[in-house]
Amino acid sequence: MRARASRAAAIMALALTTSVACRTGPPSQPGDPMLDAIRAEERQGDLSYVESQGKHLFLHYCATCHGDEARGDGQNASNLSPPPPDMTASKSILDATLLEKVITQGSAAVGRSPLSPPWGRSLSRQEIDYLVAYCQSLSRKKTQKP
Amino acid sequence: MGVAVEVKTIAPPRLHLVFAGLGLAFLLIFSWVLFHEGTAEWRTTQARFRRLETTVKNPHQLAQSVSVAGLRQIWLPDLGRVDRCGTCHLGIDDPAFTGAPRPFAAHPGTWLSTHPTDRFGCTACHDGQGQATDYANAAHQPQPFVSRPMRPLETIEANCGACHRALDPPDAPRLAEGRRLIIEWGCFSCHDIPGFEGLTFRGPALDSIGYKVRPGWLSVWLGDPKSYLPQSRMGKFRLSPDEIANLQGFLLSQRAQAPLDNTGVDWKKADTANGRALFGELRCVSCHAVNGRGGTMGPELTRIGDKVRRPWLFSYLKDPHRVQPDTPMLRYRLTDDQLRDLTAFLYEEYSSAGAGPEPTPATYQDARLLAAGHAVFERRGCASCHQLAGTKDTGRIGPSLAGIADRDPDELPYGSNIVRHTTDNYIFLKVLLPDTLGQPSSMPTYGFTPADAAKIALALASIRKTDLPASYVLRRPAPVPYRPGGKFGELVTRYRCLSCHSVGGFGGDLSTVPLDRIGSQLQHDYVAKYLLNPGAVRVSVEARMPVFHMLPEEATSIADYFSTVFLDDSIEQYDTNFTAAETRRGEELYGQLGCEACHQLGTKGGYVGPELSASGARLKAGWIAAWLSTPQRYKPDTLQPDYGLSSTDVRALTAYLSSLGRRDAAKARGGDAR
Ligand code: HEC
Repeated sequence: MRARASRAAAIMALALTTSVACRTGPPSQPGDPMLDAIRAEERQGDLSYVESQGKHLFLHYCATCHGDEARGDGQNASNLSPPPPDMTASKSILDATLLEKVITQGSAAVGRSPLSPPWGRSLSRQEIDYLVAYCQSLSRKKTQKP
Repeated sequence: MGVAVEVKTIAPPRLHLVFAGLGLAFLLIFSWVLFHEGTAEWRTTQARFRRLETTVKNPHQLAQSVSVAGLRQIWLPDLGRVDRCGTCHLGIDDPAFTGAPRPFAAHPGTWLSTHPTDRFGCTACHDGQGQATDYANAAHQPQPFVSRPMRPLETIEANCGACHRALDPPDAPRLAEGRRLIIEWGCFSCHDIPGFEGLTFRGPALDSIGYKVRPGWLSVWLGDPKSYLPQSRMGKFRLSPDEIANLQGFLLSQRAQAPLDNTGVDWKKADTANGRALFGELRCVSCHAVNGRGGTMGPELTRIGDKVRRPWLFSYLKDPHRVQPDTPMLRYRLTDDQLRDLTAFLYEEYSSAGAGPEPTPATYQDARLLAAGHAVFERRGCASCHQLAGTKDTGRIGPSLAGIADRDPDELPYGSNIVRHTTDNYIFLKVLLPDTLGQPSSMPTYGFTPADAAKIALALASIRKTDLPASYVLRRPAPVPYRPGGKFGELVTRYRCLSCHSVGGFGGDLSTVPLDRIGSQLQHDYVAKYLLNPGAVRVSVEARMPVFHMLPEEATSIADYFSTVFLDDSIEQYDTNFTAAETRRGEELYGQLGCEACHQLGTKGGYVGPELSASGARLKAGWIAAWLSTPQRYKPDTLQPDYGLSSTDVRALTAYLSSLGRRDAAKARGGDAR
């Protein structure tokens, strides 16, 4: 019984990931379940590859303060004054130049508190670009899903 | 065709007509070829590029740029590749074409600076048909009969893995995660997997399992390990009820070594409250989860009382190394009373109500059953993960995965799954649902999530058949096993330091602190005290150093060893005669740089980095300075940013941090001891 149940669950999951991926692209027959499983993971296929690379970095370097979804609710946020803003609702993230400056040189470089650290010397150019792309994707999420 | 018909029907005197016809046909074919080549897709593309170039580049640049006309190809004999992609992707390595329309846009990111096209070409990373010169034949999209169309970006990291054999190439998180999962789940116990040689994955030894587990638990476990332990690393072997019964009887008869004597233990006196306190103090949850929370190095303990027998548990806690010499579990220094309390606590707290009384260990006499159980044990390759004396070493029971990425996708089975026939999909399905591929399979079902299965498959899809030239392959040298001798070695073995810490890359990574230069980082007296009563240096980290109940002389000898052997000469010499002005400047900088965002000082500050209130009594000045100057050098993925500090600023901060928590220094600063 149990065997069948777990098998059914796995097949369901497979079918689900396939259908999720199909919603975003033209339905392809027969499917690519491996690709679909990967796409389904990145916020239901909503993130581009570059943005999802940024998300991986964000979770490692930034989420303790900014929160896993960048809503300003990280574990360490309560120790910060001013606290990290909810980036999904922030206007700053629309401005790529400003974003890049905050990330590479720290929030002090744009006349704010020194609490967001400068990453320019620790992360590669490529990694900074990924982070900028991810931060910018946060505004899209807001406008697409009210 | 028409020509051939003419030849048959026409008589010799009309030969000139035949020649005329043939000539005409050749002319037609020839002009068709000329026309076709002249209007080839790549020519029209290049014409579009030349028009675009005049708008992108200024006249001066334009005069200097190479004219584009004709096929362009990169020939890489080392890789056996000819890539003509540059025939159309004309702006690919020219930053002037950033943001240009496809196919002329410059390559995004900084990839080409680390992977120049004249060394790597295009298809080494992207796949696709490099020799083709039009969109369809280059297999930008999957094509019938093309086994390697271009990879979508989501799975491209499989190709990173072909050269990047070190376990976690930067910028390839999915590949890194896939490889981590392969290690965590021990796929290499049953399969030869290139890149994972020399790793071992061990389930518990089974020589004395008859004394260890309850019979009822064992049959449930053999049926489906996940029904007892959802995180179980043992897969489900899809055994028949008969197989389970035979295997259960066979295993329960394994009683090589009786548990340590516990006849002197008066269980009625057991104090479970003390057991609970010990459970917390020993930091068991650093490695074992209970009720879903805690570490994953050891098995979850939530229902341990349903699984093991009490005498065995007592004996195991007293000396885990006797039963399982290679276990990561350490041997605490506890008295028999403490062991009794801890055993009783685990046994009562973590068992479900229906476990029932404990039956006495029994030897099964039925020889047929034992033989049948033994046969199942060997047939299903149990010995790949579990040691059991007297069983044949079946070695790796599964097929080698060398070259798996180059298997012909059309020869692989897919069962009734309606999927595109690609090696990726085959590997994915095999990992996720091994018994649905229409062939009998003895691979157990692990119950991975599709996302995890996909990452494992991605990591396996990087294992190509032919090895690349050595100049392309990036390997990380295998760590040299570190096995110190003497008194220190004994302590390292007993307290299993290397289950969590590493030396020279060898050992565990549960702790954030490798021991290689620990003697230059921490002060001797602090280490000696800390080992006796380890507190949390980092508030936010769940896994903590256990309280070992170590003897004071043991702690001192470890501290002595650290401060004579684990040293880094480059940071040992540091002038610690700080001036008051330096200390004051350091305090200022501490505020300006926002250090308190991550570090606690007194009651103020964040939880991300270690607490600094007593750093003057904990850290050596040379280390503070070295760390602040180049943190990534010591820990590449650390959250401590490199602030690019000048050496004067580093010195000032070092002076300030060295003054914290030291009474003498506090007095010198004006009495304020934080
Ligand atoms: C130690 C905690 C901390 C960490 C780690 C951290 N930040 Fe911040 N971040 C903050 C705080 C606090 C602010 C608000 C600063 C202010 O307004 O003065 C902030 C602000 C920002 C802003 C401006 C947001 C807006 O809407 O105005 C961006 C962008 C940002 N951080 C990006 C990052 C990125 C990317 C990372 C990781 C690479 C990161 N931060 C890591 C604490 C942190």
